[in-house]
Amino acid sequence: MLKRNLVLGGIMMFIIFSITAPVSAQNVRGVTDTEILIGQTGPQTGPAAAWGSVARGSGLLFKGLNDEGGIHGRKIKYFLRDDSYQPAKTKAIANEFVEQIGIFGVVGCVGAGPGMAVRDYYTENKVLMVSFGVSGVTNWIQPFNKYIFPMFPLYIDEAYTLTKYFFEQMKITKVAMFYQNDDYGKQGLEGVERYEKDKGLKLVASVSAEVTDRDLSSHALKLKNSGAEAVIMWAMPVHAALLLAECAKIGFKPQWGTGSTLSDGPLMLQITKGLWAGMIHSFFGELPDSNHPLMVKYRAWHQKYEPGERWGIFYWAGMAFAEPLVEGLKRTGRDVTPESFIKAMETLKDWRGTGTPLTFTSTDHQGAKQVYFLQVQPDGSFKKLSDWIRITK
Amino acid sequence: MFGQLIVSGLAVGACYALLAIAMVIIYKTSDVLNFAQGEMAMVSTFVAFTLLDAYHLPFPWAAALTFLFAILLGIFFEIVFLRQAKDPNILGLIIITLGFEMILMGFAGWKWGPDQRSFPFPVSNIEAYNYHGLIISKINFWTILITLVLMFVLFLFFRYTKLGTAMRATQQNQLAARVMGIRTKWILSFTWAISSMVGAAAGMLIAALGVLDPPMMMDPLLKGFASGVLGGMTSLPGAAVGGAMLGIIENLFGGYVSLAFKSVVAFAIIVLMLCIRPSGLLAKHYVKKV
Repeated sequence: MLKRNLVLGGIMMFIIFSITAPVSAQNVRGVTDTEILIGQTGPQTGPAAAWGSVARGSGLLFKGLNDEGGIHGRKIKYFLRDDSYQPAKTKAIANEFVEQIGIFGVVGCVGAGPGMAVRDYYTENKVLMVSFGVSGVTNWIQPFNKYIFPMFPLYIDEAYTLTKYFFEQMKITKVAMFYQNDDYGKQGLEGVERYEKDKGLKLVASVSAEVTDRDLSSHALKLKNSGAEAVIMWAMPVHAALLLAECAKIGFKPQWGTGSTLSDGPLMLQITKGLWAGMIHSFFGELPDSNHPLMVKYRAWHQKYEPGERWGIFYWAGMAFAEPLVEGLKRTGRDVTPESFIKAMETLKDWRGTGTPLTFTSTDHQGAKQVYFLQVQPDGSFKKLSDWIRITK
Repeated sequence: MFGQLIVSGLAVGACYALLAIAMVIIYKTSDVLNFAQGEMAMVSTFVAFTLLDAYHLPFPWAAALTFLFAILLGIFFEIVFLRQAKDPNILGLIIITLGFEMILMGFAGWKWGPDQRSFPFPVSNIEAYNYHGLIISKINFWTILITLVLMFVLFLFFRYTKLGTAMRATQQNQLAARVMGIRTKWILSFTWAISSMVGAAAGMLIAALGVLDPPMMMDPLLKGFASGVLGGMTSLPGAAVGGAMLGIIENLFGGYVSLAFKSVVAFAIIVLMLCIRPSGLLAKHYVKKV
């Protein structure tokens, strides 16, 4: 009797287990007849929450796309999780994505630190990582990883080209650097130093700040005393605002320059009380008020689905980061596997959505290689200073 | 450069001092380290921001209403959270303040969003007074002045008012104070109210010096704590002196030694003080006799 009950119990357990474990029943993880499962981590709370709109922007693109009928009869099922910019949380969410939800790939996922925490885990599990890490550090392409398709220009090359622009177009030779003391800031510094070295010059000062610092008065003094004509900064918005205010207080007015991470002009103008005007920075996409047909469509989606969200650069960027994934899936066709998707992505050649032109090959996944320069105007608009410039070979 | 470093160090030190005073007021009365101090100040500052930005109130009115809000917030926290703790020990109460800190942080993120904003302060944070070549920005000057005035008012309050005396009595010996007819429970609530108000003043000044966003008080709170340890966690003048000293030491270290390690100085000071003089510079060393 007991034996029979045990056998019956065992059979029942097996049946329940097979019903509740849909992942194992599929051929390709995250792809069903009607859906493709995509995940994204992003800081919705905590100190980096201002970048949270990137993940929400991607969500808007998928929503609009699904309402238009999806891709080859499949809709995107999108999972957005808050990792508060904490790598430990990102790791836990990655486990959930792969082992519980069973996603096909991730898109975006803001942060070099959080991205590095899960890069190898995703690779082992053949998770596609499109526009991964949302940062221009070299960690996504070195060593070469066939599952990662970054679409952010490399910080080193961005900073190199900006320094070159100052030197060649504006005849500025005395350049100082202000950077955040982490991978992001240091790779900016490396780019600037590389150009200075190529020209036989030397930075007149390089000043760093910790992420938590809130008093930059001595940093400003050091920059002023260096006699710099231009200061390039690779920092987060709060530090940029604090530094500009401190420099204005002591009457230091150099030409400022920065990378595309600080390209939210209206926000920066507001928190710097107008001091942001005159800033020169690189950028890699359509401006928020552009008349590009896709931008017109996105703005309509924004009005229709999420009118409460601020239509800013980061929000748009979330859509631009998801575009290559959508294009890749379109080119893959109905038979979606990690391998067929990679193959399709590697056919992108100077392809443009609303971001920078992208080219992926089987040996080079650094898709984004071009930027252009803008100067912020006092009314929050931008003056275009150059055409697209190739910054990476 | 030396004079300039001292002046800007004093301005930021003034903010540390205010936060340290807010922490010391509570620590003296209840031995509790209030980790929610920063977030209480941040939420109060956001209230001020809303009054100024959305309701366009004149600054003095907005500041007065913010102080009232801060007072109520302090009383609310004491009554609703701390007083409800069963058989509380100090550690338990500290953990409650940590929990409240997280609640406030989440609330601010939900209510006002994560974007940075500039705080509309009546004094420009760019213009400066030039005194014989020594440039002191208007905002730094006013920060130092406001802090000094606040400290003086607090000194008068604790020294010369009945309520202040009752608070000091409760701080020294709760049981004896109760025997003398002081309603110590109310005094405790009032302590939290005053502390929250001082914190709100610090919050508004810090937001005016930089930008306003939910995590803005993380760094200043730690520095305020370091100032308290430096000057003495049981001494109000100590907290003030500690704040000013920390601001200046940090700036001089950043200016002449290393900017990369500027932030570490505060924590080095905590360790050093705890080794050499645990009670701080101005507090009397207290030995419990068994």
